[in-house]
Amino acid sequence: MTQSQVGIDISQGQATRPLVASVRDLKVYFEAKAGVVHAVDGVSFDIRDGETLGLVGETGCGKSVTARSFIRLVPSPPGIYAGGQIDFWSTESRRNRHEPIDLLQIPDEEMLEIRGDRIAMIFQDPGKALNPALSIRSQVAEVFYQHRSEEILEPLGENVPRLIRRAARQQTRSFERFLLNFPPWRAKAARLRMRVDELVAQALTETQIPNPRTIMASYPHELSGGMKQRVLIAQALACNPDLLIADEPTTALDVTIQARILELIAELKERLETSVLYISHDLSLVKEICDRVVVMYAGRIIETGTTEEVFRAPKHPYTRGLMAAVPSALHRRGELAAIEGTVPELIDPTPACRFNTRCPFAVEICRTVDPEVVPVGGEHTVACFAYNTGDGSVVLPTLERWVS
Amino acid sequence: MTSLTAQQRAVISVRGVEKHFPIKEGTLQREVGQVRAVDGVSFEVRPGETMGLVGESGCGKTTLGRCISGLVPPTGGKIFFRLPDEDAARLDEIDAIPEPDRTAEQRKEVERIDAKHRVDVLSGKAWRTYRRNCQIVFQDSFSSLNPRQLVKDLVGRPLQVHKLASGQELTERVVSLLESVGLGRQHLYRYPHQFSGGQRQRISIARALALDPEFIVLDEPTSALDVSVQAQILNLLHELQTERGLTYLFISHDLGVVRLMSDRIAVMYLGKVAEYGTAKELFEDPRHPYTEALLAANPDMASEESVMKGLMGTVPSPANPPEGCRFHTRCPVATPACGWEVDDAVAWLQAHETLLAGLTDVQRRSNFDATLVFQDEDSASAVGGAFQDGDLPPAMKAALEKVSTDGRSVHITFFPVEPVWLEDVGDAHLTACLLHTRQGQEPWPPQPIADSSNRTAANPSSTSTTNSNAR
Repeated sequence: MTQSQVGIDISQGQATRPLVASVRDLKVYFEAKAGVVHAVDGVSFDIRDGETLGLVGETGCGKSVTARSFIRLVPSPPGIYAGGQIDFWSTESRRNRHEPIDLLQIPDEEMLEIRGDRIAMIFQDPGKALNPALSIRSQVAEVFYQHRSEEILEPLGENVPRLIRRAARQQTRSFERFLLNFPPWRAKAARLRMRVDELVAQALTETQIPNPRTIMASYPHELSGGMKQRVLIAQALACNPDLLIADEPTTALDVTIQARILELIAELKERLETSVLYISHDLSLVKEICDRVVVMYAGRIIETGTTEEVFRAPKHPYTRGLMAAVPSALHRRGELAAIEGTVPELIDPTPACRFNTRCPFAVEICRTVDPEVVPVGGEHTVACFAYNTGDGSVVLPTLERWVS
Repeated sequence: MTSLTAQQRAVISVRGVEKHFPIKEGTLQREVGQVRAVDGVSFEVRPGETMGLVGESGCGKTTLGRCISGLVPPTGGKIFFRLPDEDAARLDEIDAIPEPDRTAEQRKEVERIDAKHRVDVLSGKAWRTYRRNCQIVFQDSFSSLNPRQLVKDLVGRPLQVHKLASGQELTERVVSLLESVGLGRQHLYRYPHQFSGGQRQRISIARALALDPEFIVLDEPTSALDVSVQAQILNLLHELQTERGLTYLFISHDLGVVRLMSDRIAVMYLGKVAEYGTAKELFEDPRHPYTEALLAANPDMASEESVMKGLMGTVPSPANPPEGCRFHTRCPVATPACGWEVDDAVAWLQAHETLLAGLTDVQRRSNFDATLVFQDEDSASAVGGAFQDGDLPPAMKAALEKVSTDGRSVHITFFPVEPVWLEDVGDAHLTACLLHTRQGQEPWPPQPIADSSNRTAANPSSTSTTNSNAR
């Protein structure tokens, strides 16, 4: 209860909040034998400071690709960043009133600094996201070596040998690591290790892992799914990022564990003042934890708004269909409202509403013209020619206004 | 559902089924223990109804489903197919008599019933009838459909095996099966990878329907699907059930789905049934804290203000499950009588890193009685002190019979408890929670050593809960 109330309170003053990231007309295509797959096709949305933005949609609608574009993790080839930009303001750049950086244009070296430091990601399957051959300690420590080498060198004082500096950046080669076992480096290397251990333990404690020191020494297969997800969260939040991307972090977990993980993310978000992009196909979860929602279908955004607006009065037939399809106490058996058909293929699509093949309200114009995203009051926007007014009646607004 | 009483038999009767997997170690693969995946489960599935089986991953629901469909033999207990009610009553009678006291006649009768109805000893024609009438739909349609076979072969295979159709007739039968699950003739000559997840699950269902079975085990048929597709599949399953009078065992971890689909539900935890009842009763009046916890953790779209609550801790190892109530380690309302044991004490010590540092050995005499040996006397006395004045859960503290420190070792003894059994709490609603059953009304502590006033002071929360249940 408190969680969702807090969410609503924040959303009231949200329009004035500064932006963390702004996606403009993002296009990500994939080259395939049959043609070019338009996985993400002109997506625009904003993430504001301190909010949790939910990105909802079915499998294959492009939500994960959108999220991965933030840190350029889409494999290329076959992926192509075909257009658009993702502007990103880190806390520092906002304080100094710098211009935002375009995450799609910056050089790779700069991306390396942002990835894992300013923007972090929690992946869907904790079993696959952790390296089974490395201990938990070394996997979490990597974040510190990569992004906080100055900080971990601090307690060693001035005049740190070059070899130790290299060790703190994980740039040592194997013979150099061998040398670290001997004086004069040995003592300093041990202190460096202790310092990193401390930071790792601290990061694990943040995510309420009992016995961080024991966990650090263990390997992923020794931990339960929930515990692994906590380690991933610790890893992601180690550097206190400005934006946390959570890609279905609880899909692989049991409901009882899921609730605990979501509580944890919400609590850490409040404390660290991080913005969260939460990706999920589970509407009931999004309703629970997000301040605003973006609904995607077949590579396009079809509806956005505050959680309250979207869930109280969904406008797009697809959003309505999705909500009606979630089984609840109100449904009778065999009477679930299913959206018939499947997501269309996205190979070289022609201009049309992408949902027209499955839409019960589709009319001629839906099959020939792309609908634009239009505001429908408050922060609520929708991309549909004919939308539901909420009482079930279908209203066809003046089309000229909508067609570009 | 209308013919419930008309046919005087259960489709599937599960009677005390156990499935223990051996843990083998060393070069000789010596058996060092057992994973008790399913540990004494009993229920009946009546013709035309849907029985739901819910629980977290690792609670044994899939293993039970596999036992019932005859894919793995149970290591204990019996599963019966089409057991008439009179035979069931007869078995109840005989089971009540201890094994050595049974007469030759009674033994013969058990053998007769077993040979006719018991799934793991059926043979010949009876076995084939059973295999025809019991089908299974698996969770992962990627791995349950052979990627090198055409849809025609996949769906037609059961018909070929049972020699029911061949040639043109086979094709036509397959087409009509595909049509009944919403696919068509155009899909006959395609491979599984050419279909989406929802369509593949439809193919699995068509294959299960091929032999016109009476009973289908649905093992998480929709958990890999999107909500919109899940709705399609659930509607289809319901439609098929009403058309063909099918009986389902619906296994899922999603409470919303199980609630929608099931007439009766068994909630499983760590190999045992925690609660059993009609869907309506279970959801409106849950009588087990685990069911309540599952309900609380399940986000509900319908409710305006919902609070999702998770459970502390993890599921104990099924290789060494708690002797008392299996849920007590995570239960928010656990009482001293719920079966606190040495493992709990060690788990509590583990949460306090410093205390466990010097531990060298645990000598366990039983689950309730053990000696912890430490490196030095200081750490032993620290742990002994922590047990006496530390912030132990009040229920655990009250369950501690004795703690004594002796040099480098700490002896801890808990009050031993009986296993918790399922008990009827009205209207065929069964629960295995002491707070709700007669078993929980036995006096505590079991021995007259500890005085009861101490317990009331130490554990006010548990007493208030029990009072509300007319203890």
